Amino acid sequence: MLRPSALPPRAGLGLKPAHYADIIESKPDVGFFEVHAENYMGDGGPPHRYLEAISEHYPISLHGVGLSIGAEGPLDKAHLARLKSLIDRYRPASFSEHLAWSTHDSAFFNDLLPLPYTPQTRDRVVSHVDEVQQFLGQRMLLENPSTYVLFEESTIDEIDFLADVCERTGCGLLLDVNNVMVSSVNHRLDPVAYIDRFPVERVGEIHLAGYDEAVDGAGDRLLIDAHASPVLDDVFSLYDHTLSRCGPVATLIEWDNNVPDFETLFAEARRAEAVMEGHQSGKTLSKFA
Amino acid sequence: MNRQTLALALAGSLATAFATAAVAAPLAPEKMEGMEKCYGISLAGQNDCAAGAGTTCAGTSTKDYQANAWKAVPAGTCTTMEVDGHKGMLEAM
Amino acid sequence: MSAASSQSEFAAALLDPAATLPAGVTTMRGSADAARFDVYRNNVMVSLITALEQKFPVSRKLVGDAFFKQMARGFIRQERPRSPLIFQYGDGFPEFIDDLETTRGVPYLGDVARLEVLWMRAYHAADATPLDIAAIAGTDPEILVGSGIVPMPSASLLRSDWPVGSIWAAHQQDPVASVAHSGPETILVLRPQADVRVHIVPPQDGNFAATLFAGKSLGGAAQAASHDASFDFGSALVGLVSLGTVLRLQPISEGDNS
Repeated sequence: MLRPSALPPRAGLGLKPAHYADIIESKPDVGFFEVHAENYMGDGGPPHRYLEAISEHYPISLHGVGLSIGAEGPLDKAHLARLKSLIDRYRPASFSEHLAWSTHDSAFFNDLLPLPYTPQTRDRVVSHVDEVQQFLGQRMLLENPSTYVLFEESTIDEIDFLADVCERTGCGLLLDVNNVMVSSVNHRLDPVAYIDRFPVERVGEIHLAGYDEAVDGAGDRLLIDAHASPVLDDVFSLYDHTLSRCGPVATLIEWDNNVPDFETLFAEARRAEAVMEGHQSGKTLSKFA
Repeated sequence: MNRQTLALALAGSLATAFATAAVAAPLAPEKMEGMEKCYGISLAGQNDCAAGAGTTCAGTSTKDYQANAWKAVPAGTCTTMEVDGHKGMLEAM
Repeated sequence: MSAASSQSEFAAALLDPAATLPAGVTTMRGSADAARFDVYRNNVMVSLITALEQKFPVSRKLVGDAFFKQMARGFIRQERPRSPLIFQYGDGFPEFIDDLETTRGVPYLGDVARLEVLWMRAYHAADATPLDIAAIAGTDPEILVGSGIVPMPSASLLRSDWPVGSIWAAHQQDPVASVAHSGPETILVLRPQADVRVHIVPPQDGNFAATLFAGKSLGGAAQAASHDASFDFGSALVGLVSLGTVLRLQPISEGDNS
């Protein structure tokens, strides 16, 4: 199957400053490294020096968290230009962003905020994705979000929304399996049914992460996309089910808060690759079957 | 003082500085190192790679948004650190 | 009948704990739930507090975690990030600290925070090769006195009434060391090559360095510093250049030189 990204079908890790030296020194067998674009938008210094060195040995996935594609307002042209110069410099195998907004009225909230799913918001996201792809001169992947609230005005299902955007812009999708679990539990949906309906042929990358568990005002389960712990078994099982539909796909372990030592991250990548290996020839691992 | 007089006065000082540092152009890097150590005080640096605030695409289960009462008082090293023989917080001005 | 949501309303409610929930926000149960909207409020507040904690580690240690968080919350409510480049957020935090009644007993706190802002600026500044000291030796003195400096993109100078360089350095070790003096310090922050460096400029050279950073000529800066008998032009200039402060020299018009 032709994937909408050039990332290898292997497990990758988020690149963290605390691990720069370790990675350069020991060149661990990791499929790719993913960076948050915004952390490499300074003019120079150690971030660029290390990314330069690491990009010589590993495919790089550029993951934006600040473009605010779901915003009501126009895209920030200066931010697009910064993304373009990163892409020109590091030639990442993939560029991805979120179905979310984070900037309003020039204030940046440093969080991925939700949007209602309506024909109007869909058309706006389509025009923003078009603009991004045209400006960057390449295809992007759009990621399904973790959400904690719903909107009364929403009339379109999330998967239909994403599929429409793909259809009309030619973009690919980043399937965050942890986000599927978080949103499904939060909105009493069936995560397996979500995966079964997802347009997997559009998926260029998968994200896995650990969630935190809380309860809402009515005492219902409320999962939070915390990226602060190992991937939980239910998410691994859902991942296994996902791969049974789409085969091995580049898979990132996201661990952004309370970042552990590199060995712990590496072990998480190995776990994901073990699941992937079970799908090399179409078979599934019995542990999760 | 006009520029010529000033230049003359400063040229002497500069020549002495180069001579004291026992250097002549072009300067060898190891000699520059030596000079660096002589000038001012170099402070121990903070860990280069641990530095820097980053963006996040993760949420948190930590609850913090509501706490906004100004109840806390400075209670870190400023209460114990000795500056010039004086320990702790300074007298309020 | 469903209410239309707007991002203006959503954004306004994020940083105002007293605000009612934005219209149109609901749950699968069909009614709004503040506990769910609060996840976003917490995400915003905690992620920005964390950003400030990571940018101001010494300031945080000085006043302790609880007080630092309290200052951070106050600052965040007053000033949102203007850019997704989150490492730039908090450049106005030192001024906010200066204005607080509660930090009166820690009068150097604002300047320590300023030093941390300059550190972060140097960390992300454009890479460049500093001027070689040989270029000074090879320049005609008369041209030299009429020249100013273009500082390295990473270089900044901080003048404080407090020994904030020493206080900052004392916090790079655990337990925190004591600081031997209480006088003012002039601090130079820069990244000549790979790593950020922090230096205390000799006291007699403080005016000279500050005048140069203000764009005046070497001759003018020397005169500004000359009231201190221990100031020596040659060692000050050679010292600053050898630390990697200067990108290049540039001619300054006569009018600035008097």
